[in-house]
Amino acid sequence: MNRRLGFLIALAALAACQRQPEPAVYSGMMLTPPRGKPDFTFTSTTGAPYQFRKETDGRVTLLFFGYTYCPDVCPMHMANISAVLKKLDYADRQRVRVVFVTTDPDRDTPQRLRSWLDQIDTSIVGVAGPMEQINALQQSLGLGPAKPEAAPAGSPPGAYGVAHAAVVLAFTPDDSLRVVYPFGVRQQDWAKDIPVLLRVKARG
Amino acid sequence: MTWWCSARGLPWDGTWQAYPGVWLFAILVGALCWLVRPRGADAPPPWWKRAALPAGVVLLWITLDWPVGPVGAGYLVSVHSAQFLMLAMVVPPLVLLGLDRSAVDAALQRRQGLYRVVSALTRPLFAIVAFAVTMVLTHLPVVVDSLMASQLGAFALDVAWLASGLLFWWPVIVRVPARAHFPPLMQMLYLFFGTQPHLYIAMWLLSADFPAYATYELAPRIIALSAITDQQIAGALMLGFGATYVLGAITVLFFRWTSSQRDDSAALHDA
Repeated sequence: MNRRLGFLIALAALAACQRQPEPAVYSGMMLTPPRGKPDFTFTSTTGAPYQFRKETDGRVTLLFFGYTYCPDVCPMHMANISAVLKKLDYADRQRVRVVFVTTDPDRDTPQRLRSWLDQIDTSIVGVAGPMEQINALQQSLGLGPAKPEAAPAGSPPGAYGVAHAAVVLAFTPDDSLRVVYPFGVRQQDWAKDIPVLLRVKARG
Repeated sequence: MTWWCSARGLPWDGTWQAYPGVWLFAILVGALCWLVRPRGADAPPPWWKRAALPAGVVLLWITLDWPVGPVGAGYLVSVHSAQFLMLAMVVPPLVLLGLDRSAVDAALQRRQGLYRVVSALTRPLFAIVAFAVTMVLTHLPVVVDSLMASQLGAFALDVAWLASGLLFWWPVIVRVPARAHFPPLMQMLYLFFGTQPHLYIAMWLLSADFPAYATYELAPRIIALSAITDQQIAGALMLGFGATYVLGAITVLFFRWTSSQRDDSAALHDA
């Protein structure tokens, strides 16, 4: 009898061990402790105010600062995220928001921003605001401010580039900034990480 | 100094760039083959034999130089796979068709050491294994991503394709030294089985859920083509063109073989 009881206890202990959540391993840089989600309001491409914290509450949110004339990092990041989102099942897809904040509000008009994003994914939210506020927001998130730079060779006269952070900030459903994804993160990394980010429980 | 096309990670600006290494390489290949070109002591060689070598060298140059070279090295995997098809499947047979068998034989007979090396390297079993291993290794993501990032690495990859292609096609086209145990039927099977690995690679590229190569996935886009569509085009090219091309080559061998069989029967009947 005692032997059987011991076996059951051991089995229960083993099951309890197995129920413990696996430590999350992300392809990006994990922030410990996680940071809070900023509360800012910019203007969306429809012209309506976009309250970031309210609109993305309880969702996995991928926040990126870039501009539509960017020749490399911005379209690549957006296209890779979009490609993976399209492979998620519908329910999970509804729990992810991608927000693109332009760092070139002078040239990225709402129409241009919407048109550019629509070529990649119509579900990506595009927002713009005054440059000072965008830079203040970036600095509050630990990113350097965006600033104009010389255009790449072969660009038309008058063209310019914008130096900006090339990272994607990932907020989990509990409204925490948990992971920073640098340039170089691939679709297979997003496909592995987004479901893990989705598993973080939202605040009750 | 830029001498060979590699992945630079910079946005494509369409500016012409000189690749002197490519020019020297194409000239070197052309010059080597020129030494053993068909001369036709009795009758002039047929036009296709005279045209094959220049066509092969020009195709080699176009495949490696701007704009195909840099686009294939660092932007589009579909162009990279087209380069593979040219360097491993099209250029080698053209160059080898342009050689004069008797001149090659005579040149090798004069240098016994070289003869032994060529004989060993072009042994069908060795050539088919070398070709297959090269195909598989040079399509592994870790190998492609490592090599394409540097000029030397990209050069090594291009040369590996060309060299393994020359070895693979040599026993079927040049046939020096002559191998009695490698009749036309065996040659057809050799071509069929030798090109199987790249068909499987093509199917893998076609069916993969995500882009296989970081080099092309993270490259600045030069046309409105997603990384996965680009990869699927690469797979389709390898599968469609590769399979058609090999079946074409096998068909040519088959008809050449049946024609020679008929000639032999006729000669026997006459006798």
